[in-house]
Amino acid sequence: MAQRTMWRDFAKGLWAENPVSRQLLGMCSTLAITNAVINGLAMGLAVGFVLICSSGLISLIRKLIPSQVRIASYIVIIAAFVTIADRFMAAFFPPLSKALGPYVPLIVVNCIILGRAEAFASKNPLGRSLIDALGMSAGYILALVVLSSIRELLGNGTLLGRKVLGAGFEPWTIMLLPPGAFLTLGLLIGAAYQIERRVRRRRAR
Amino acid sequence: MSLSTRLAVVLTMVGLISAALLVGVNLATRDRIAANKQKEIDEAITKVVPGSRVSEKIYEEKGFTLYAGKDEGEKLLGYAISAATGGFQDQILFIVGTNAELTRLNSLYILDQKETPGLGAKITDRNAFLRFWEGKDIRQRLMLRKPPVGMDELGPTEINTITGATVSSESVLAGVNGALEKTKRLKREGKLPVKE
Repeated sequence: MAQRTMWRDFAKGLWAENPVSRQLLGMCSTLAITNAVINGLAMGLAVGFVLICSSGLISLIRKLIPSQVRIASYIVIIAAFVTIADRFMAAFFPPLSKALGPYVPLIVVNCIILGRAEAFASKNPLGRSLIDALGMSAGYILALVVLSSIRELLGNGTLLGRKVLGAGFEPWTIMLLPPGAFLTLGLLIGAAYQIERRVRRRRAR
Repeated sequence: MSLSTRLAVVLTMVGLISAALLVGVNLATRDRIAANKQKEIDEAITKVVPGSRVSEKIYEEKGFTLYAGKDEGEKLLGYAISAATGGFQDQILFIVGTNAELTRLNSLYILDQKETPGLGAKITDRNAFLRFWEGKDIRQRLMLRKPPVGMDELGPTEINTITGATVSSESVLAGVNGALEKTKRLKREGKLPVKE
C-alpha cells in the first residue's frame, strides 16, 4: 500500500499531472530555452534541484509558517536555492551558465516550484513531498528534452550538437525562434491529450 | 505572542537563514567564478595573439581594454582589444587580436553575448562566422558581404553575414571597426608604449 502511494506520488508528475503538458506551468522557460537539447537538459536539472530542495525544506517547516506569510516565505526560500544553483553553475559549468543566461535567475518565478510548494509540500510530510518533487522534476525534464530534441533536430539538423540529418537537409530556422517553440509545444500538448483520451476510452470499454 | 509579531518573526528568520546560506555559497564560489572569467580572458588573448606568453594591460577605458601580447623576450607580437558593442538583445563582449603593426587581424573571439540562440548566437561559432575574420586586412574598414559567398570569393576586407542574423553580424562589425579605429588613433597619438 505504502509502496503504491509512493509510486503514484512520483508517477503523476511524469504523465497524468505533467507540469508542462497537463498543468501548463513554467511556460516561460519551457518556450525560451528549448532550442538545444543541452539547454533543455541543464534547465530541467536546475529546476529539479530547486524544486526538490525547496519542497523538502518547505515540507519540513510547514507547521512553523503562519498561512498569512506562507507565500512570502516560500518565495524567499525558492530564491535562495535558485541563487545557489546559479552561482554553482557559474563556478563549475561556466559554458552552460552562459548558454542559459538570464533564465536561471528566472527560475524563481517558475510556477511549478511555487505551485508544488503550495499544492503539495505545505500539506504533506517530508518523504511524500520529496517524491512528489522528484516526479515533477522528472516530468519537466522529460517534456523539455522532448521539446528541445524536436526543435534542435528540425531547426539545426543536430541532436546534442552532433549532426544527425545529412547535408541535404535545409534547417527550418523558424523552429529555433519563438514561433517554433509555440508550434512544437502546442502540437505536443495536443498529442498528449489525444493519447490520454484514447487510453481513457479503451479503459471505459 | 500576538499574530503580527509571529508573522514578523517567522519572515525575519526565513530571510536571515536564507541570507546566511547565500553568504556561504558566495564565499565558496566567488573566487572560482572570478578565476573562470579571468581565465577566459587570458585564454582569449593567447588565442587572438598567437604565440604570446605574457599579456600586459596597456590602456583601459569604459567598454574598451587594450592588451599587448608579448613573447618571453618582451617583444611585442600584437594587440588584443577587448571591447563591448550593442547587440540585438544585450551587449556583445568580444576580443580581437591584431599584429604588432595594426595592419592584419589575427582572429576574433566572442567573450559574452545574449543573442538569439541558434541565430544571432552563431557569432560565437567559428565555422559560421569567426573564421571569416581571420587574416583580414585592417588598414581599411571591414565590410559585410550579404548574401554570404564562398571563402575564396571573399575580399580581403569582407566578412560574410550570418543568414537570419544581420543585426548581430552588423553589431559585431561596428564594434570591431570601432575598436580597431580607436586603437589606431591611440597609436597615432603616441599613447601606446611602442617597443617593436
